[in-house]
Amino acid sequence: MVVFNYFIELFEKSDLIIEFVWFLIAMLLFLVITIIIYLKYLRSTLRRNEKSKNKLEKEFETAIITYLYAGDPDSKEISSDQLLIIEGLKKGTSKSYRKDILIATMLKLGYEISGEMAESIDKLYIQTGLKEYSLSKLKNKKWNLIAEGIRELTLFEVKEVQHLVKEHLNHPKSEVRSEMQLYLVNLFHFKGLDFLNEIKTPISEWDQIQLLEVLQLYKTQEISDISSWLKSSNESVVFFSLKLAKIYNQYGVKEELIALLQHPNVNVRVEAIHIISHLDIIEAKNELKTNFNTLDLEEQIAFFAMIEETYELADKPFILDNILNPNFEIKYSALKILKELSLDEFNSFKDLSLDPQFIKIINFVESN
Amino acid sequence: MKKILLAEDNSMLSLLLKFRLEKEGYELLIAENGKESIALIEEHSPALILTDIMMPFISGLEVISHVRNTLFAKTPIIVFSASGQEEVVLKAFKLGANDFMSKPFSPNELMNRVQRILR
Repeated sequence: MVVFNYFIELFEKSDLIIEFVWFLIAMLLFLVITIIIYLKYLRSTLRRNEKSKNKLEKEFETAIITYLYAGDPDSKEISSDQLLIIEGLKKGTSKSYRKDILIATMLKLGYEISGEMAESIDKLYIQTGLKEYSLSKLKNKKWNLIAEGIRELTLFEVKEVQHLVKEHLNHPKSEVRSEMQLYLVNLFHFKGLDFLNEIKTPISEWDQIQLLEVLQLYKTQEISDISSWLKSSNESVVFFSLKLAKIYNQYGVKEELIALLQHPNVNVRVEAIHIISHLDIIEAKNELKTNFNTLDLEEQIAFFAMIEETYELADKPFILDNILNPNFEIKYSALKILKELSLDEFNSFKDLSLDPQFIKIINFVESN
Repeated sequence: MKKILLAEDNSMLSLLLKFRLEKEGYELLIAENGKESIALIEEHSPALILTDIMMPFISGLEVISHVRNTLFAKTPIIVFSASGQEEVVLKAFKLGANDFMSKPFSPNELMNRVQRILR
């Protein structure tokens, strides 16, 4: 008590600034204690939730496995035991977080197995009313829930709601658009690419890679007609179609590819040259040669890369015109082609320039 | 009763295969990681090993290597791999795996292979 009174007295006699510092210390102490109590509460709540989630997961796992083995192997009809499990799962998933856990549990197995059992899981998803739950997410205002809903419909292969998924074709969030595109391509393969006719928003490079990855899982080579996509006003659609033209060797769109050499975007023109080269469309060569000086530098480089693959004797005058091209890549390419076309002429032009870069290229081409 | 060791970290797949294999008259030993599977192999000497390639602690490749190069056992080994792991599957064969199944796989097809190997 004496000590306490001493401190009170000391506090009262202190300067205002000291009193303020003491007050601050008390406040901070209170704050720290409150935060510690809150964090402890939060941790125990999270642990409790995790525990109940794990318990629920185990229950669902057992129910799903029992469902899968409760069916009659000779019949496609749902057995009475299976019906009981379905009813139990329906009752047990009245709250949305329980539905989410059930979906996650089904997918845990769905990713690993195929065949009849995978089909049974898809059927169980429908029977337990989870399809409606996923569809309700599509109407949600939160974009992440819409994307989640579409992903679930993709993974459980719900084809008949295509029109509802397609409503998000030009959704402002790229994540939703990406899920929508994956839904269509995963479930309808090349036919699903029809969305390219209507899409107004850009398809990112990553999304394009994902779509191509999915398409390559299917062995069919019956690709849709890509000619209209090569004329699209959406540049990302054009880029994607160029990738399709290359992967699936679309010689049939020769005219459209040549027309792309006049595209306002230089990157499209450059990519078109690469594809024309890949498909060996010789018809475009003369046009590119004639307009060579009006082309952008990237196009000129791409064209020389094309000539390296397709050169013939008739190209010699054009090659000779470019052995002193100010661009290193073109100069190197021209000299390399010249050596292949005529070693005598290559040797006679060796001393054409004293430029050290030119001499270095000559030496390199000679020794390779 | 022939023993089969299943090394798989997906509890649901393990449960599914357990039901199936036990129904066909096999005893299934389940390991959730490579370390557990090595301990079970040494303890029980199973007639067949089913192992996933990607597992915590010790991978499926290390399990195969342990069986072939440390225990010098000729126990048949079927490897599970995800698509796109072709190179790892080749490594598994070089180490001595007998067969492989790419995930997702059909449990019915797995059963056929198990029965063929253990016939």
